[in-house]
Amino acid sequence: MTSIIQITLKGIFRDRVFQGIMALAVLFLFIPSAASLSMRQVVETSITLSLSLISFILLLLSVFLGATSLWKDMERRYTFSVISLPVSRSSYLLGRFFGLALFLVITAAVLAVAALLAIKFAVLMYPPDRPVLWGALVLALLFATLKYILLVGVALLLSTVSTSFFLPIFGTICAFLASGITQQVYEYVHMPASANAVSPFLKSAATVLYYLLPNLAGFDLNVNAIYGIQPNPNGLMITLGYFLAYTSILLGAAALLFDRREMQ
Amino acid sequence: MYAVEIRGLSKSYKTKKLRTVEALKGLSLDIEQGEVFGFLGPNGAGKSTTIKCLMGLIRPTAGAASILGCDIASPQARRQVGYLPENPAFYDYLSAEEYLRFVGKMFDMSPEDAARRVQEVLNLLELWEPRKRLIRTYSKGMVQRLGLAQVLIHDPEVYILDEPMSGLDPLGRALVKEIILDLKKRRKCVFFSTHITDDVEKVCDRVAVINKGDLLAVDRVENILERGVEGYDVTAASADGQVQELFVHKEELPSFLKQTLDQKLAIEKIEPRRKNMEAFFLELVAR
Ligand SMILES: Nc1ncnc2c1ncn2[C@@H]1O[C@H](COP(=O)(O)OP(=O)(O)O)[C@@H](O)[C@H]1O
Ligand SMILES: [Mg+2]
Repeated sequence: MTSIIQITLKGIFRDRVFQGIMALAVLFLFIPSAASLSMRQVVETSITLSLSLISFILLLLSVFLGATSLWKDMERRYTFSVISLPVSRSSYLLGRFFGLALFLVITAAVLAVAALLAIKFAVLMYPPDRPVLWGALVLALLFATLKYILLVGVALLLSTVSTSFFLPIFGTICAFLASGITQQVYEYVHMPASANAVSPFLKSAATVLYYLLPNLAGFDLNVNAIYGIQPNPNGLMITLGYFLAYTSILLGAAALLFDRREMQ
Repeated sequence: MYAVEIRGLSKSYKTKKLRTVEALKGLSLDIEQGEVFGFLGPNGAGKSTTIKCLMGLIRPTAGAASILGCDIASPQARRQVGYLPENPAFYDYLSAEEYLRFVGKMFDMSPEDAARRVQEVLNLLELWEPRKRLIRTYSKGMVQRLGLAQVLIHDPEVYILDEPMSGLDPLGRALVKEIILDLKKRRKCVFFSTHITDDVEKVCDRVAVINKGDLLAVDRVENILERGVEGYDVTAASADGQVQELFVHKEELPSFLKQTLDQKLAIEKIEPRRKNMEAFFLELVAR
């Protein structure tokens, strides 16, 4: 499996994905000056911009790398030469997953350094009223990374059943968009006030989706990072547990489906 | 224990129009260790389907198979196998050297062993010069030769090759034949598919002929060639030194020999005239 992880990383670097990201990372240089346009709360704005930029890059990576990696292997018929080696399909799939996850971690770490430097610069230039909680900032980045690693799992699961990259890419994007609002929708349909407005069918459909779709709201610690509020340790543990459980289920299902997949 | 044992293997594909294609119908074959076995059939006969089942790439609809006694459902069955896919493709962002090292690792070779073998097989297949170039810059023939290199790298006992000669120039084909004959000398089992009868005639111990998913014949190549003898071209000289060339039918040979003794003819040369593998194959498939 480690060889598959290595190959995965090598493939991503050779395809100059990383170089592309580094080009995007140049944007961090402009964050302090862009934030200074807001006149007040320059540091808060810098943090917001940095976190959004990192999130956006990680989202792009998780969706496109996650959705195309298995698909490309099957499309270009690399699977014939690799799956026929004495490696189980699940090891192959896990190798791909951990390779992609590792790449997200590396990218996030590099971008985090750039972001922290940009924010530090903003802090020095425009000292904020409230001290920046660097710990909360790092935690926010960490959980954002976990969130997108989970999304890679979604993309891989979808690519084990799909013959094109269409379903994995758009499916993952939909899962991501839906994941932000499932909590609100769930709470809305279960409000006593909406009992009349929502049909029972819709209510149960929403409930099924609520449990099926990833709930990524807990991974968002941006508010804590921006306003310097300590995150709740219990909440973090629950989110971490959720991440581990949900990702394991995704990978387990993906392994089962991939094992049954015909290479032709 | 057989190198490859196939028992009643069937495979149906479902096409997009909800039709099913019976690509393979209850194939049974035993392939001995140390034998070179040709799997001969026209395009669409079901050769690749059989091989993909053996390699765990597709799931047979019915039947079972094992390689060196290990059921093909387990990845373990592939430990002692070198497999060359039909029109192979390899991670094109790696170089040949990197890819072979990767394959070596997947077969649990030590880095030293792998490094030594990589050099050997790259040299053997004339890929040493371009070994550091990315595979995406290779020609079709080079990729095919890399395919053979990755088959040989871990020196397995069983070789399963899907049309190993396709995409190669005459030099490359000769090289492949040489490699197969060398494997035969080293008592390895080679199971390869082809639609070219000449390949079978030159290198195989046994051959199976398959068409439309049905096994039509399995036999030793020498038997087929022997049975194919139709008669003999004879060059004979009479007592007065006159040389004549004759064709003698198979059944008439004994009486002809007696006749030559009576007539005091001196036989200078006698050669069997036979139907070749191609005729045998065409006859079977046309039936
Ligand atoms: N994925 C597939 N879907 C539907 N039919 C297929 C598929 N693969 C192969 N076939 C059909 O199965 C038959 C056998 O194919 P194959 O094993 O590739 O033949 P060969 O390798 O002997 O040329 C052919 O008729 C082919 O059209
Ligand atoms: Mg074929």
